[in-house]
Amino acid sequence: MQTRRDILKGIGAAALGAAAGPFAPTARAADRMTLIGHAVHKAAATTGPGGDVTAAWRAKNGVELEWLTFGVEAANERAMKEASLAEGNADIVFILDRYTGPQYAGLFEDLRTWQAKDPIPEFAEIPAGMLAAHTFGGKLTAVPYRHATHGLHYNTEFLAERGIAEPPKTVEQVAALAEKLTFKRADGVQVYGLVMNFDDPATPIDWIRANGGDFITTDYACVIDQPGAVRGVTMLCDLYRKGVLPKNSMTLKTEDVTTFMQQGRGAMTNNPFNRYVNYNDPKASRYPGKIAVMALPLGLDGKPIPAKTSVWAMAIPRNARNKERSWSLVRELSLPASTVAATLNGNGPVRPSAYEDAKVKQLIPYAAAEKQALGSARLVVPGFANAAKAMDILMEELGNAMLATKEPKVAMAEVKRRVQPLLPT
Amino acid sequence: MATPATLAAAPPVVRRTRARVGDRRTARAIHYAMVAPAVALLLAFLALPAVYIGWLSLNVSTYGQPARFVGLANYAELLHDPVFWRAARNTFVVVNAIVLGELALGLGLAVLMQGRVPAKPVVIAILLAPYAITESSGIVMWRYMLEPDVGMVTHVLARLGLGQLDWSTDPVATLSLASLIAIWHHLPFTFLILYAALTTVPRDILEAARIDGAGAFQAFRLVTLRLIMPALLIAVLFRYIFAIRTFAEIWLLTEGGPARLSEVLAIYLYRETFKYHQFGMASATGVVMLAMSLLIALPYLRRMFREVVRGG
Repeated sequence: MQTRRDILKGIGAAALGAAAGPFAPTARAADRMTLIGHAVHKAAATTGPGGDVTAAWRAKNGVELEWLTFGVEAANERAMKEASLAEGNADIVFILDRYTGPQYAGLFEDLRTWQAKDPIPEFAEIPAGMLAAHTFGGKLTAVPYRHATHGLHYNTEFLAERGIAEPPKTVEQVAALAEKLTFKRADGVQVYGLVMNFDDPATPIDWIRANGGDFITTDYACVIDQPGAVRGVTMLCDLYRKGVLPKNSMTLKTEDVTTFMQQGRGAMTNNPFNRYVNYNDPKASRYPGKIAVMALPLGLDGKPIPAKTSVWAMAIPRNARNKERSWSLVRELSLPASTVAATLNGNGPVRPSAYEDAKVKQLIPYAAAEKQALGSARLVVPGFANAAKAMDILMEELGNAMLATKEPKVAMAEVKRRVQPLLPT
Repeated sequence: MATPATLAAAPPVVRRTRARVGDRRTARAIHYAMVAPAVALLLAFLALPAVYIGWLSLNVSTYGQPARFVGLANYAELLHDPVFWRAARNTFVVVNAIVLGELALGLGLAVLMQGRVPAKPVVIAILLAPYAITESSGIVMWRYMLEPDVGMVTHVLARLGLGQLDWSTDPVATLSLASLIAIWHHLPFTFLILYAALTTVPRDILEAARIDGAGAFQAFRLVTLRLIMPALLIAVLFRYIFAIRTFAEIWLLTEGGPARLSEVLAIYLYRETFKYHQFGMASATGVVMLAMSLLIALPYLRRMFREVVRGG
């Protein structure tokens, strides 16, 4: 017969179990893996014409995947948080180059060891620049999975409406056409020639580089006060003052730019190639099939503008419970065939050979242009401990220049003064 | 020592006294036992994290690195950062605008609702409605209504020849709009407290004041206001403490932009924590915000204490 003490013991044990449930490693199903990333990672791996890249691996290993997806900033934040715990719940996390740095290298496995143990085939094909974005002190903290490289998107209907025969070929033409494409349509909609998101330097950096400037070089020199960069900032300020860029540009985020393009309130934008799908989405866009994309045109020096690129990569937290299994999935997602399938699902492939695939050529209209852009693409900034703060300083002073509270030259000199102490020595 | 034998031998008065002392001790022990869980919770969830934050503010700390003690260096860096001072100024302005605006409007509406108002329950329900709306949804709704070019309110303002509210480029307009949204959303809290307090003011005291020759305004100032002062102080105190953490209104409008000109301390703290992962600096900011809250609250707490003592 159960005594009152037995019943109390039972209730206590049940309550403790319930309270510890989410945290207790033993309470988790052994055949489940958790991946932390952005929705695009899940979509690229599982949904689209390329099919579910993970299906065969899941069936073979008897593992279910739990995808925890967040916005860009939140995904990186959550990944770091999980990786820094004594015992984590994440098996693989996706990290963006500009959110990582040498100070976080200790949180993740050195994947060179795993590559030596169970190599990813044709690993050398992954561009060295992409690997370098996630390598700190010689340690490979993550394997590149996706790149987001900028192209120039333009609304072909607006170009025709304004009597413009072809898209711009140089940066000067971009500025001139953007002015011409700023107009009020017959239906009363105000169209802006150029729309850009200013939540970080990813889009402004294209115009700074188009004018021969840069922000922080790969050897950690801040060159934003140099004439080329000041020229680029001045160009943006001029476009803003002329009303070519929307008045609320400084508050626009990626999603806002997508809305501008879909609603026909923006004629051109420099954003990742794969936004082509969103801008032309028949369910959301008023101009499906009419928004084309090309590689960024020539810069002032007559060479293609080095497009901004960013590299998402897969890392294995040091506290992951089954690292062998995590590596197995990283390896699976990195196979040449998986890269092609993910490309068909809308991913920016980290293997250039994916662009040569017949199906990719047939289904991805921007494949050739993206491959061309990737050849000279650059990261926004090289990874270092204070990169996020440095980028915020640039955006703050760029805002001052656009608001005309500071001359571009003065504002960029101020950026250099404030960023210099944050750089690695 | 009082053994049963000695107690039995003692006179009845001594026995009763000793028994009372024993009862009091037992009662005290029971009181402590009953209060202990609440105190333990307070210690675990408020005091310990507060101490930890205080300690963290004296360290450099980020993900993947052991914390390194730096003394008051984080505070020194904070005090030398012009963005911090601008955020502190903005916070001061916004918090006062919100609390005083809410107080004036809440009091006015509460007084109005004391009189004859047609369909009073419906009007009160309308006044309370913003509190039922999720904060972020409310802010985004306002943002879209005031969006340049396409916002409904923007169109109306333009038709009336009033131009556009430049909240995306003008930090004064941003902070004004953020304050307006905060007042709109939190007004029901202040209104409800003051309305409830006004209903408790005895009519005979007001009638006596009028018989003594007080006008309506004098009666309100010298009688009503004084009687509702404890409730008013509580409303103000709570709103100051909550308003100093104002974040969502500005974050969802401009993220503190343009050029971080509309940033407030909560956004400054957010950046240090979630963007830069500088937990030492973020903790120092948190400690400074706590100190500011206490400074603001102190005069009100003092006044409340006096009211309570006087009431007692």
